[in-house]
Amino acid sequence: MNSDRRDHALIDRCKRGDRRALEELIGHYEKPVFNAAYRILGNPDDAADASQVAFMKAFEHLDQYDPKYKFFSWIYRIAVNESINQRKRARNQQPLDDKEVTDVRGPEATAQAGDLSGKIQDGLMELKDDYRTVVVLRHFSDCSYRQISEILQIPEKTVKSRLYSARQLMKEALVARGVY
Amino acid sequence: MISERILELINADIDGELRPEDQSELDAALESSAEARAVKSELQKLSNLMDSLPPQQPPRGLGSRIAGNIGLPKPESSFSLSSIFSSFQPATAGVAFAAGLLLAVGFYEFSSERAVPGDSASMVGTMIAGKGSAPEFLKNDMQLKGDGFSGTIALRETSGIYILNFDLESEINTEVKVGLDKTGFAFGGFAEIQGDENKVLESVMISGGALRVLNQGHQQFAVFLREDETGKPVHPESISIDFSSSDRL
Repeated sequence: MNSDRRDHALIDRCKRGDRRALEELIGHYEKPVFNAAYRILGNPDDAADASQVAFMKAFEHLDQYDPKYKFFSWIYRIAVNESINQRKRARNQQPLDDKEVTDVRGPEATAQAGDLSGKIQDGLMELKDDYRTVVVLRHFSDCSYRQISEILQIPEKTVKSRLYSARQLMKEALVARGVY
Repeated sequence: MISERILELINADIDGELRPEDQSELDAALESSAEARAVKSELQKLSNLMDSLPPQQPPRGLGSRIAGNIGLPKPESSFSLSSIFSSFQPATAGVAFAAGLLLAVGFYEFSSERAVPGDSASMVGTMIAGKGSAPEFLKNDMQLKGDGFSGTIALRETSGIYILNFDLESEINTEVKVGLDKTGFAFGGFAEIQGDENKVLESVMISGGALRVLNQGHQQFAVFLREDETGKPVHPESISIDFSSSDRL
């Protein structure tokens, strides 16, 4: 059974109240959703919260899910939006004096900053949300242009142009950190 | 300076999305332009760096936590005892009564201090004697017959104690959920009739005001109900019993 058919079968069972199907579906997407949220937010605790809210919203509105589209795209879209909104909320809650500081990561992520992974995550966090999102979906979620287009509901052409610009900025951020 | 078009082709190539018809154009650009080769090399290095990072492991138990916070619709096969109470009948002779079946029964008593949370693993097991001499009344019963699933459920009352008797036969794992919301009842105990080695009573769990029994094969068990602490009138007609079956349960 391919993943689309499998997902649709599980969703049907969820709609009939089958909790095993719910657990199976979450099991398939827990890790990729968490990883996308982690790369957007840069903090594992916030990523776990965003993942949880994303799944809860998805299942709360399961009746609105259109089976023409992949469940994968739908849950990713909700997770990405939730992550971005969470980051905006975190920024808004910062004291006025700190408004210019955009890095809202926790101590665990900050501690990683000395290694390559930390430097790359630092570079990612410097990007605007739109740019960071396409980089995350392409490089950390392994999505194609078409999948990114479907998840973000933007034309493929926009995906490409954002990705090119984001890479340029990412490269500059990594050069500044001595990675190149 | 390389053109936007060549930059687009380089990026598409790195992403594995270069169309076959554009391959020769990119090859020609790379062949003729050192700058194009340098740009491609840098972008490829950047791409490789990001792709090389291992995925993060979600915190332990995240999936379970998420699943536990999601409410699903009730299974379609659910029904309410209110429908069978509309055809209430008095006692019928010779009906086996749950308390009378307790000779070989494990009875788990729930103290009022820990009425709802926990599962069978934390219950206190107590054997009790049967109450065969007590007057008993058949409040109602229901015959069930479905694909791979059949049996009876009977609600009986004696001396103010209500007992739900289950006699079920299921080919695949079936979850029976008894809900007492707004009935004025609390769970007083659970009894499994033992002796058949083919029986598979996999789990008994109480959480969120509902009791869930996962079973397969021929199962006989009883759920004992008592008045809850509020002292409000009881409404046995509001007891809900849901079934869900799955070969993956």
